Order: sequence, then C-alpha cells, then structure tokens
Amino acid sequence: MSHAFAYALVGAGLFLLGLYALVAYAHLLRKILALNIMGSGVFLVLVALAKRTGDAEPDPVPHAMVITGIVVAVSATALALALMLKVSGKTGQAVLPGRHQD
Amino acid sequence: MEAILANADWGVIVILLPLTGGIVCFLWPAVSKTAGLITVAAVVLAVAGLGRQIMEHGAYRHTVGGWGAPLGIDLFADGLSLFMLIMTALVGLGISCYAKSYFNPRDAVWFWPVWLFLLAALNALFLAADIFNLYVTLELTGLAAVTLTALTGRIDALSSAMRYLLAMLAGSLAYLLGVALLYHDSGSVDIATLAQRIEPNATVWAALGLMSAGLALKTALFPLSFWLPPAHASAPAPVSALLSALVVKASFYILLRLWLELFADFAEGVSTLLGLLGAAAILWGSLQALRQTRIKLLVAYSTVAQIGYLFLVYPLASASSGLAAGIAAYLAFSHALAKSAMFLAAGNLMRFGGHDRIADLDRAVQRLPLTVSAFALAGVSIMGLPPSGGFTGKWLLLDAAMSQGRWDLAAVMIIGGLLAAGYIFKVLGYAFMQAKEPHDARAVPAGMEWAALLLAVGSILLGLMASEIFALIHPDLVANAGGAVERVWTA
Amino acid sequence: MDVIVVLEWAFDAVLGLGLLWLAWRTLNSPDLFKAIVLFISFGLLMALAWVRLNAPDIALAEAAIGAGLTGALLLAALARLRTTTDNTMPAQLPAGSWFQRGLLIVLLSGSAAGLGYAVWILPSHTSGLSMAVTANLDVSGARNPVTAVLLNFRGYDTMLEMIVLLLAVLGIWSLGGLPPRPERPAVAVLDTFSRFLIPVFILAAAYLLWVGADAPGGAFQAGSVLGAAGVLLLLSGWRPGVRLMQWPLRLALTIGAITFIILGVLTLLYEQQLLAYPVAQAGRMIILLESLATVSIAVTLAILFLGESPDPEEKK
Repeated sequence: MSHAFAYALVGAGLFLLGLYALVAYAHLLRKILALNIMGSGVFLVLVALAKRTGDAEPDPVPHAMVITGIVVAVSATALALALMLKVSGKTGQAVLPGRHQD
Repeated sequence: MEAILANADWGVIVILLPLTGGIVCFLWPAVSKTAGLITVAAVVLAVAGLGRQIMEHGAYRHTVGGWGAPLGIDLFADGLSLFMLIMTALVGLGISCYAKSYFNPRDAVWFWPVWLFLLAALNALFLAADIFNLYVTLELTGLAAVTLTALTGRIDALSSAMRYLLAMLAGSLAYLLGVALLYHDSGSVDIATLAQRIEPNATVWAALGLMSAGLALKTALFPLSFWLPPAHASAPAPVSALLSALVVKASFYILLRLWLELFADFAEGVSTLLGLLGAAAILWGSLQALRQTRIKLLVAYSTVAQIGYLFLVYPLASASSGLAAGIAAYLAFSHALAKSAMFLAAGNLMRFGGHDRIADLDRAVQRLPLTVSAFALAGVSIMGLPPSGGFTGKWLLLDAAMSQGRWDLAAVMIIGGLLAAGYIFKVLGYAFMQAKEPHDARAVPAGMEWAALLLAVGSILLGLMASEIFALIHPDLVANAGGAVERVWTA
Repeated sequence: MDVIVVLEWAFDAVLGLGLLWLAWRTLNSPDLFKAIVLFISFGLLMALAWVRLNAPDIALAEAAIGAGLTGALLLAALARLRTTTDNTMPAQLPAGSWFQRGLLIVLLSGSAAGLGYAVWILPSHTSGLSMAVTANLDVSGARNPVTAVLLNFRGYDTMLEMIVLLLAVLGIWSLGGLPPRPERPAVAVLDTFSRFLIPVFILAAAYLLWVGADAPGGAFQAGSVLGAAGVLLLLSGWRPGVRLMQWPLRLALTIGAITFIILGVLTLLYEQQLLAYPVAQAGRMIILLESLATVSIAVTLAILFLGESPDPEEKK
C-alpha cells in the first residue's frame, strides 16, 4: 500500500469540494477559485496514481498531461477573470443575473 | 497532379489549414475577412479529398509523430467522423458567407481568427482517436465558443458568456477526471487500445459517469441545459448558428463515440437514463420554446428539444448500435442545417426590424420573402415533415422505437413534433400579420438572405439523399438503413 | 528505517490534510483578498505535493504558473473589481436555497464515496506507458522523459496547447481589454527588488530551457518564469511602446504555434507524418520548438496579466 493512493483520494476530495463551491456560491471570483481547485484535484489524481507502483521513475505521460492541463487552466482563468470584470463593470456586481432572464 | 490530390494527407490538412488561416487573420487583421473565406472554402475541398480517400480505401488513420498509439497520438476517421467533418465544413461555409456581410469591421477582426480556430478545433475533435487529445480539442472549442458569444459586449451577452464558460470548464474537468481514471485502469488513452482492455469494474463505472456527465453538460442535455438558451440567444446571429449547429454536436459526438467503442456492452442502465433525459428535454424544451416571445430564445429552446432527440438513440441502440449511431449522426446533420438557417433568418429579421419580438414581425413575409422562406423550410425539417432530413431521421428513430415496443418514446417523439409545429407556426403566423405600430426597417444584404435560404434548402435536400448518406456513414448499414429508408418512402 | 517511514507518512498526512483545509478556507473565507492569499499558499503546497510524488517538472510549473501567475492574475482582478463594484455585497452570498445546498451535499457525498472506492480498487501494478517511453527515449531527442512526451510523443497536444494560450489573449482583446489597474505610486522597494529580480528570472528561464531536454524544466517552466519577469516589469510601471504593441507583439504571441505548424508541414512533406522528426535532427528540432514556444508562452502570460487591448480606441 503506497501513499500514492492517499494523494489520489485527496485529489478526489479537492475536485468535489471545488464542485460544491462552484454551485453553492454566487460570487464569480469564488466560482473561478472553485474551478481552479477542482482542476488541482484532477491533476493530483492523474499524477498520484502514476506513482502507485512505487517505482523511482513514475510514468511520465500523466506528468506531461498535467503540465498541459496547468496551461489550459491559467488561460481559462485569465479569460474568466476578464469576463467577470466586464460583467461587474456593467452591472456593478460580480454575480450572474438570476437564471432565465427571458 | 491527380496523384498528388489522391495521395495528399487530407486529414492532417483539414486541421492545419484553419490553424494557419487563424494565425494569418491574427497577424494581418486587415485581410481577415478574405483570408477567412478562402480558408473555409479550402477546408471544404480538403474534406472532399478526405471523403474520396475514405470511400476508396476505407477508414483513415494517421500516426502523428510516427509513433503510433498508445505511445503517440493517432488521428482516425471512419464514415461517422467523415460525416461530422462534412457537416462542419458545409454548415461552416454557409455561415461564413453570411458572416462576411454581418459583422462591422471592429467585430470582424475578432470573429474571423476565433472562428477559424474553432473550425480547427472541431475538425481536430472529429479526427481524434485519443481521449486526452479530445480533452484538448474540447477546451479549444469551449474557449473559442465563449469568446464568440461575448463578441457584442452587451450585458446579456457578457453574462451568458460567463455562465457558458463556467459550465464548459466544469464539464471539461469532469471529463478529464474520467480520462485520468480510465488511463490508470487500462494504461492507455487511445480509444482502440482501451476498447480491447476495458472491463466493467468500479473504476470504469466512475469514469463512465464522470465523462457522461461532463459531456452531457457540454451538450446541454436537460436538466444541464440551463446555460444554453441565454448564450445562444444573446450571441450574434452567425455565432448562435455556429453554437447550435456545430458546437453542441462536438461533445455529443464524443459521447456517442465513447459509447459505441467502449461502454455500450455493459451500461444499459445508463442508456435508459440518457433516453429518459432526452425525452424530458424534448417535452420541456418544446414547451419553453412555445412560451417565448422573442425569436432567438424560441429557436434556442428548440435546440434544447432537438438535442433530446439525439439522446433517444441510446436506449434504442441495444438492438443495432451501428444503425442507431447512424441515425443520431444523420439527425445531428439535419438539425445543423435547419437550425443554422433559422438563426441566420432570425438575424436577418433582427437586422431588418431592429428587434426580434415575435409579435412585431409586421408582414416580414412580404418584405423579406427569402428569409421567411428559409425559416419556413428549416421549420419543415425541425417539425419532421416530409421530405426533409428531419423527417427521415425522426421516422427512422420512430421506426426503431416501435419495432422495439418503446411506445413511450414514440409518443414523446410525436408530441415533440406537434409542439414544434406549434412554435414554428407561431413565428410564421406573425410574419404574415401587420403589427399594431409600423416599424422603420433597415435593408438586409442579399448575401445574408441567400445564405439562410441555401442552408434551409440543404436541410430539405438531405432528406432526399438519405440512402446515399447512410451508405457513407457506415457501409454495413446500407442494407439495414436502406430497408428502413425504403419503408419510410413506401409508408 | 522504520522511523523514516513513519515520518514520511506523517509528512504526507499533514500535506494532504493541509491541502484540503486550505482549499476549504479558500472557498469560504469571507474576505476575497484573504481567499486569494490562501489560494496562493494552496498552490505552493501543491508544488510540495508534486515533489513528494516525484514530479519535479510539475512542481516547477505549479509554483510558477499555478501559484505565481494565477495568483498575480487573481490579485490584479480583485484590485480592478474593487473599483467597479459596490463592496457591500457579501462575498459569501450563497446561490440557491438551503434545501438545494443540502441536496447538493448529499449528492456530492455519494459521489465522494463512489469516487474514493473507484480509486481504491485500482490494482497497484500498472500497465501505464512508462515502458514504452523508456524504450523510445533514445530516439526522441530529449533525455528528460516529460520533455520527450510533451515535445515529441504527444507533441501534437502541445501544438494545440499553443492555440489555447493564443485564444485566451484573443478572448480578452475581443472584449475590448481590461480597464487599467488602479495605479499605485511606484514603490521604491519594489523597484529595487525588480531591478534585482528580473535578471535573475531571465537567467533562471534560460537555465530551465537549457536543462529541460535532460533534466526537469522545459518550455512551459521557462516560459512561465520569463512571463513572471514580464509581470514584474509591468508592476514596476514599465509599459511596452505603442509600436511594440502592434506587429512585433502579435508575432511574439504566435511564434510558438507558427514554428509547430512549419515543422508540421515540413515533416509531413519529408517524413509523411505530422511532427515525425528524423532521429538525427530530433534533438535540434526540440530545442528550436522549445525556445520559440518559451517566447510565446512568456509573452502570452505577461499579456494576460496586462489585460489591456493593443488598440488605443478599443478602451470602451
């Protein structure tokens, strides 16, 4: 039994914590933080499980995938923050208007 | 020359062309409109080249980097992928011709590069055979789609783009967690390799749940469709058309592909659930569409309903999954043509009257006959009346449901068709009437009217070419589908 | 020996629980500034976790991008947010009713149990790709396996990745760019600090790029450190000239993607396969790709931080 599994479980926990906050909080900055934490959780699962064999040299493929993922995450975060600032610039509030403004 | 055309690697070219075009548009904004149109036209030709190769030599496979899966990434195209590529190229071309006249210079400078990157992302997605590579293409698609949604900078567009982005990112992360689990269960991200190794266990089930949920969110399957109507309604008309016609089909295609290759054998319970949600989407989306007072929201809710039809193939797939997948792809194509025509027609009406309130259409039928014809023809396909693509697709689905004794699903399809007739005639009815107060009208460029009409005509023609198309999607299906198609016409 | 094992377990336990605790505090601390600072510490703790998991490449990327640049982006956004919004709105405002949130908690707890079980039952032997990577490392042109995967075995993903970065810039510019950050009077300490740090960062980036082929490091790490140097420059009040903001900037943003496409076309013509480098040239091609990708990544990250549109008339 290696500690890799424990890290993978922490990763799953982070994913679900982030998902909870994403749905449960209204403030957009909070939602963006929540998505980043969800992402960290997924990356942790991907890499931790690669080390479960206990080899000194873990599988490098998930490592490369996570580096790719980190870059996607920062790009998406930058775009999300810009949109948040535009929304709050127009409405004075960093929240989404109520659902279905038809 | 002939040899070069026959041997060129069209699959790779279909991806590299729009990538290059997008960069050219970004570097030289002054030529972006011309460069954009040329690129999209070239993509149509390249897809035709790929189609010819696939029809002559069978499925296309390219080992990127020369490594081969599972170490490297493979590109793969069979009839189903080819069909999606053709859909993207043709509908994309129609929308591009429309966009040429639609955007003011300020917005055009951003529309063209982002649309070309979106096109590259969609092509790469339909050619991908690797679930991690699919994640990258999904993210590209999502970021491009959100950027295009926000293009007008108006508050409704901005907040719906924000909601759209949050939903897309959450969906991608759920999908990626599923990829992580599958990789560690089976040691590969290549779909073909996974298909050989996969065995139903708790890890695979968790991956199946996460990937399906993420992709259902991205495809706006009811009740995860909350983000779609505001986004599709507030985006500029050509963007709404791209989103409804192509972008939601991309995540649907991934789900269908994963299902066909990996999950169909053991996940019948989930198929039932997807079918139920699809049925609920048809009813809920159609009823909402009927309630709307604005055309673009009406058309957007209609998309929620029509996506529901696509998900009905899952519970019906158990008997003959190949045929069901063919029906889903065919329905997706006919919806893409009809819905893009509808959004473009709605854009013309908005340009013309300055608003999209249904009650104030004010004799649009006399003043914009081509546009109203486009809306009506597209409506024929959405309602599922003959001889349109929508008719053939829905009939095949109905046929499958009845032959399997699924009267509940058959009933939902019929009710959905009636409700669709209701909301489409609601728009057409007002188009014949005079508004209480007359409005000033702005001229609509002829190109914009013709683009909408041609796409709508395409959605009708698709119905007349059903047998040829089924031959393309899957050679083995011809016998099967051919029989069903004949039954359609003799019925 | 046993003492070390116990210590390792204790360290992992503290780190794992610390990550969960920091995430939770980030997500529900009432003050947004505090939440961001907690998130940055979360990122640094993640970097430690990567080190524990023998993933030094990710640790570097996480420290530079995950904690550093994302943190800078968040803080800059918060500063701008405070100029546009009324600060009366509670930052913890819940969405939905108590009932809905309760339902969500029940659902997510169920998912947690399922997900935990799904991870737990994985066999502890693995059929991953490390054997295949090791077997082909000699002909890949890089001795660091992660670099070999990123630039060669899965170089196609990285090519699309360059477009993801470009799309983020396009997205922000098409929104008309962000309002300028509220300027503070130049702080002398920061100024001296950056004058000292920027050359260090540039040296570090060059080093990371250079060793990336053989040791932990590479284009993404080097690019993000170089991008951080750019952010420091911007923070100390430096602004690129108007001329620089036009064509040269656009070229710098795309040069990584352009190199990938040109190499892609050349390999397609001469090797019949996209991005199939001839073995003798692979090392040089990877260095070329990495150097130009580093430029694009660095400039993109700095521009994402700057957030302003290049067009003067765009400031709407």
